[in-house]
Amino acid sequence: MAERRLVNQIKTLRFLAGEMTQAELGDKIGVTRQTIAAIEQGRYSPTLEAAFRIASALGKRLEDVFQWTE
Amino acid sequence: MAWREKTAWITLLAMIATYGAYFSLISQAHMSPIAMLELFGGLTVALTICVIVATAVMAVLAGRDARGQPDERDRAVARRGASIAYYVLLVGVISVGVIMPFEEQGWGITNAALLVLVAAEAVRQIVVVASYRRSWHG
Repeated sequence: MAERRLVNQIKTLRFLAGEMTQAELGDKIGVTRQTIAAIEQGRYSPTLEAAFRIASALGKRLEDVFQWTE
Repeated sequence: MAWREKTAWITLLAMIATYGAYFSLISQAHMSPIAMLELFGGLTVALTICVIVATAVMAVLAGRDARGQPDERDRAVARRGASIAYYVLLVGVISVGVIMPFEEQGWGITNAALLVLVAAEAVRQIVVVASYRRSWHG
């Protein structure tokens, strides 16, 4: 079975959302700037709740922000 | 660097310096039990003061990063550190409390128990640092 991984478009969507900074997004969803950076770089997979919060803060659906790809 | 990684580094380095000095001294010199207790107590107080001062200085330099509550990633890292350190403590307690009494007595056992506590805490801090560095989030 091919290995699948979670990827995300947070960096692009932050830019499109008025060049929102990592710190601003972190403040909106209740995590640190470093955690947003780790999520963006694929070094940390957020909880489902945090993923929904990120999508909501960016005004997008969950699947627009996170994808489960091969 | 995440704020909690910085505090883990501070605690780890201070622990290595102070308890490294303690166990090095008691292994080289013959000391009375009272002298050992005084040394251990004194070094523990010095460690606590060093960690508080260093953390306060780092908090001033870190600004808003230091004022935030731990988030889900910080809590995941902390859980990982505590769960791995638990096994170190478990093995240490069994060794000191069950096996050592057949071969050692008195202050040898006491110092081994102290070493187990220090080792478990050091492992906890090492796992925290490594988890932030290596992106291990159990």
